[in-house]
Amino acid sequence: MRFHAFMFSWRHMLSEEGFALLLVLFVFAAPVSAAMRFQERGLYMNSSVPGATTSYTVSWRFMSPQVVGSVDMLFCQDPIPYHPCVTPAGLNVSNAALSHESGETGFSILSKSTNHIVLTRLPSMITSGSSSYTFDNIVNPTDTSQAFSIRLRSHGSTDATGAQIDFGSVRGEVTDGVVLETQVPPMLIFCVAQEVEDNCTSTNENYYTDMGQLSSKSTLTAQSQMAVGTNASGGFAITANGIPMSAGTSVIDSPTTPTESVQGSNQFGINLVANNSPTVGGNPEGVWANAVAAPDYSIPNHYKYVSGDVIAYSPNVSLMKKFTVSYIVNSNENLRAGVYTTTITYIASGRF
Amino acid sequence: MKRFKSMVVAGFAVLMATAYALTAVPAHAESSAALSITPKKNYTIEAGKSVKDKLVIRNLDAKIPLVLSLRVVDFTFNDDGGTPKLMLAQDAPQTTWSLKPFLTVPETVTIAPNSTESLDLGVAIPKGHGAGSYYSAIVYSAGSSDGGNVGLSASGVTLVFTSIPGKVNENLTLQNFGAYNLATANKKNGYMFVATDMPQALAYTLKNAGNVTESPVGSITLKDMFGHEQEIDDVNPNKSLALIGQTRTFTACIKLKDQKAQFNGGTIQSTECAAPGLWPGLYTATLDIFYGQNGNSTKEIVNVAHFWYLPWWFIFLITAILAVVGYYVWRIVRRIKYGRPGPRTKAARRK
Repeated sequence: MRFHAFMFSWRHMLSEEGFALLLVLFVFAAPVSAAMRFQERGLYMNSSVPGATTSYTVSWRFMSPQVVGSVDMLFCQDPIPYHPCVTPAGLNVSNAALSHESGETGFSILSKSTNHIVLTRLPSMITSGSSSYTFDNIVNPTDTSQAFSIRLRSHGSTDATGAQIDFGSVRGEVTDGVVLETQVPPMLIFCVAQEVEDNCTSTNENYYTDMGQLSSKSTLTAQSQMAVGTNASGGFAITANGIPMSAGTSVIDSPTTPTESVQGSNQFGINLVANNSPTVGGNPEGVWANAVAAPDYSIPNHYKYVSGDVIAYSPNVSLMKKFTVSYIVNSNENLRAGVYTTTITYIASGRF
Repeated sequence: MKRFKSMVVAGFAVLMATAYALTAVPAHAESSAALSITPKKNYTIEAGKSVKDKLVIRNLDAKIPLVLSLRVVDFTFNDDGGTPKLMLAQDAPQTTWSLKPFLTVPETVTIAPNSTESLDLGVAIPKGHGAGSYYSAIVYSAGSSDGGNVGLSASGVTLVFTSIPGKVNENLTLQNFGAYNLATANKKNGYMFVATDMPQALAYTLKNAGNVTESPVGSITLKDMFGHEQEIDDVNPNKSLALIGQTRTFTACIKLKDQKAQFNGGTIQSTECAAPGLWPGLYTATLDIFYGQNGNSTKEIVNVAHFWYLPWWFIFLITAILAVVGYYVWRIVRRIKYGRPGPRTKAARRK
């Protein structure tokens, strides 16, 4: 009985008091040793012209109420502190001069190189938090295609050695007023006709199709082709635009979801693959697989048409790809008589 | 008189025959529908300043001139991807981010077969105009056809983005992060927590509630159950944008497969996702991204996500192993309980 009472008390000690002790350790002990992220980080580049010599104002809020003696500033392409640092092309901070400081003051430049500055001061307690530092004579990076970063670390020592206190990165970017035309400027190539060559160098110069006499007992079909390609990194998208076939106010309905061809119903639809019910169309032709027909328009023997829908796209650069568009029309015997026509405008655009 | 009469009849017959022959020949459209354009333009212009640039358009058709009418329209987003939704209606309201009032382009252009034209493009920002991102699209429309039941028309679009520097409102919030199923011709895209096909990409979805377009940078660290790490250095390789008000999904391949090819006289490089060689199990992905315009705060978003990769062969294998283990456990239990394996017989029960 005495043994049982002894074990009972210890079991509760281990579960409840032990858990409470762990919590206390986490709440009070962990923050003292853990590095925190600088807040309100920012970078102002007085000129963002590539390769220009200009001044940078870097600002941040010190978060840990500790003694700080130095700040390490490393200029890299990547902001992540534990990644290898690649110096941004063209950047040079080796002639930088600290011209202004506010908030936590008393800093001077201890050392500097092409992409590295160490600020130092007599170690003292952080009091004001929000601080900013302006550096003159910094040469901007030259690569406009990617951003760059300054990795920041504060230390208790005067030479940026030992354990870091706070850390964080700021981001900058150089931009031209006008996009720099690279060796091959971004371009989007697009052509549409009844028949087109893969590379758009020729078409059969026919931009319409006569589908014949509407009948409730047969499905009228037609097909056209389009070729597209781009070297733009964002890729392309093609939308189909225009009202379905109509004669005056009488419009042949078009399915809003992929639907099989049904004779005797009023139905106008398209797709971008080979079909056998009815036999019409062809599968996309091209070497690269990244340009595809939209899922709703790539189901064989299923047709859909919604004006403005994306019917084909590529998420990135794409060699020339040829799509064959199949058109089907079915009609009910009660459809109002008339000449039913439509003009489908295919719009090719870049992506953002 | 008789001779004159027969001449008139013959002339009329020739006229009718000519008219019939003309209608019998297909009426070709007056414009080519094969063009090459610049898909995107980016400018940074301070308020009170302007930019003059050129739009290069090429007529790829060797026989027919390209007749284009140019129009500036606003656009927004279609979904969480990068396809622009053009506001083509003549009475479409002007957006708050419209560049239309500041953008000038010619109204029409005719380009000779197999030739290139450089059109003047101007963007002028009035003095004192507020900082932020402004964008519109230039639509080039080729003439449509006459005749037939289905007429075809081709249009190209250049997206024009302009950033006016200054203090801006930047506000991205993370909506989702994890393994991502990329769309193919027969498969829709989407996030997945349990993947039976090997995930090839990770994605993060950001809502842009600010007044500027945003293009985040950063990295993703992917760790398996045994602590092996893979790093995705560039989480926005295409420099994709989250438009104002858009909830945008950015995708990043776990492993890249480079393809190089010749395109229109130059070399292009495509970066497709390749099979990353993952082993079945639980994965932990850590996202660390940064955004912020010049002169504004750099903001950071950090998040952790988990997903399971459990291919069907692995599920079958585990099921088979469990079945075998279960069977032997059952046999052992039987042996311990009744001294021999197998089901209880009547004789055993009587004992």
